[in-house]
Amino acid sequence: MNRSFLHTVSFVGALLLMMIPVSCAWDQEKKDQEYANTPQGNFMALWTIMDERYCFFDLKKERLGVDWDEVKHRYSASISDNISDKALFEVFCKMIGELRDGHVNLTSVYDYGRNWSWKTDYPANFSKDLQDRYLGNDYVIGGNGYYYRVLDDNIGYLVVGSFESGTSSGRMNVMFNNMALCNGLIIDIRDNGGGDLTAAEFLASHFTEKKVTVGYYCYKTGPGHNDFSRLYKNELSPAKEDLRWIKPVVVLTNRGCFSSANDFAYTMKALDNVTLLGDTTGGGGGLPMSSELPNGWVVRFSSAPTFDADTNHVEFGIAPDIRVDMLEEDIQVGVDTYIERARKYINDKIVNP
Amino acid sequence: MTVNCRCSNPLIPLLFSVILTVVPLQARSQRTVWSLPDYNETVRTWSVAFGNAFARDTYLSASSYDGWALGFENDSWTGYRPYRLFKYGRFHSNLLFSPMKNRLGGGSTMELAGSEHAAFLWPAVKSSMCDLLIGPAILMDLGVLYNQQNSNNPVTLEGYLGTGFCVDNTFRFSLFRYDMALQATLYLPLAGIGFAPDYDQPYWYMYKYSEYGKAIHLIWPFNNIALTHQIALVLPIRGDRLRIGYTFDYTNNSLGGHKRSVGNNMFTLGYTIIFQTKEWGR
Repeated sequence: MNRSFLHTVSFVGALLLMMIPVSCAWDQEKKDQEYANTPQGNFMALWTIMDERYCFFDLKKERLGVDWDEVKHRYSASISDNISDKALFEVFCKMIGELRDGHVNLTSVYDYGRNWSWKTDYPANFSKDLQDRYLGNDYVIGGNGYYYRVLDDNIGYLVVGSFESGTSSGRMNVMFNNMALCNGLIIDIRDNGGGDLTAAEFLASHFTEKKVTVGYYCYKTGPGHNDFSRLYKNELSPAKEDLRWIKPVVVLTNRGCFSSANDFAYTMKALDNVTLLGDTTGGGGGLPMSSELPNGWVVRFSSAPTFDADTNHVEFGIAPDIRVDMLEEDIQVGVDTYIERARKYINDKIVNP
Repeated sequence: MTVNCRCSNPLIPLLFSVILTVVPLQARSQRTVWSLPDYNETVRTWSVAFGNAFARDTYLSASSYDGWALGFENDSWTGYRPYRLFKYGRFHSNLLFSPMKNRLGGGSTMELAGSEHAAFLWPAVKSSMCDLLIGPAILMDLGVLYNQQNSNNPVTLEGYLGTGFCVDNTFRFSLFRYDMALQATLYLPLAGIGFAPDYDQPYWYMYKYSEYGKAIHLIWPFNNIALTHQIALVLPIRGDRLRIGYTFDYTNNSLGGHKRSVGNNMFTLGYTIIFQTKEWGR
């Protein structure tokens, strides 16, 4: 046997030995199982994603009687191999709608699957026409969705219609300068459906002089319904180098306040000089995440629960300090019951601090 | 349920091996084709790489994604002082970008990945025809996966820093009187630390509250299978050396409770240069 043949054999031998880990990796890859892009596969993918990652199953079982295993049993009967995509989408939307969570959605070309009963099942307690009437024509725009003016009785009125985008330090300083002589401030977040958590926190940080523990949060640490991390503090720090408001504040809330607006409500409620007035907020106390089904439909779900300063779930909303309902007779004469009660509250507070 | 295989086919290197044993090859000792570097010498290959990448990360999605990939590789051998135990340094770094699509339906994701491997090698077999080097290695892999469709979890970071070993195998031969060299390299991490969110730990909370503790995991082959395997053919052309190769990079882990499987199959075309480095100091 010649020398070159021996070297060839030794090279090939070493090469084959090096292939062992590659083969192991290949085997490992083959073991990874995925759901098929069939009605049944997509159904199981959706149900399992929710089962392993949705964070409010125990709460929903306790408050709404939702049993996720029973839901699977009930809806799987509607799935057949020849079901149309549109019909499948409708079944999926109904299934996740059982959770009655505004953060649980299914997106496809057919629709944005949702259950907004957290808002639609309750009185609106809000009139956009009346809000516009109070703002008048000479209001200031302090950011996208931020409108304000000073009312006749020297009370500031700030409308925050959305937290989709925030405002800036400069605009906050100008606003507080414009309202420096006001006796109090009304912040109207009715029908604010949320948006950016940072925007809500930024606004709230202008109403405290010290660091305050406003709530807690945790996140899922495993697929079990009760696999959660420990509670972490959610602390609000005062806005650095900005003007801060230390006079009375009334925040107007209704069932349309959801997600970041819900966070804003419980954050403000933890502050000393702030009063919540109106209706319970719509909730949405779970930080949402997304995942994708084999057919490309995107499912969004509440993933990390938040709690108020007393470690209560905020998923079902924040109760106001002063419960108020809009009165039909007020609406008929162009009066916003909420705003008038808030003005009275602030004016009374000046007389009786 | 279905089973999918997206991995590279390990039969490709086997095919190389069969060709080597069947075709009447003649081993050569042509230093002009390929040789290990002397002290203060570096043999470096810059390559462009193209191929495909695949990814599945259940933190982002239950589905798998794959697509074309484009990258760059830097591969080098450096000679150390002769009296040292590890006489050669072997370094491999790459960077790749891949826009991927959900394999079964809609949706898309993107990956940007890079790796840096450094190995210190001892010549187990060294002859005019065959060099077999083995030794410890430090390996770092880092990748960012971005799922365009997600809301609060659009991006996830994949990465580990580990120690392991490297095997580097070169065979010089001639085929139809044309001298060339075939190289195979394997990097295998054995232990280290890996980064992955603690199951559904939101990146937002990590950033906002600086709570990272559970995102760092100890890795070993039972929770993190990873490897980089290269096969390359060095072809001398008028005094220059072209290096045509195939690289398979793969990581499969379940750190933090979510399943991750990312990898790529890349074909490389590179140009090799020998550098003489100046000795520092006196």
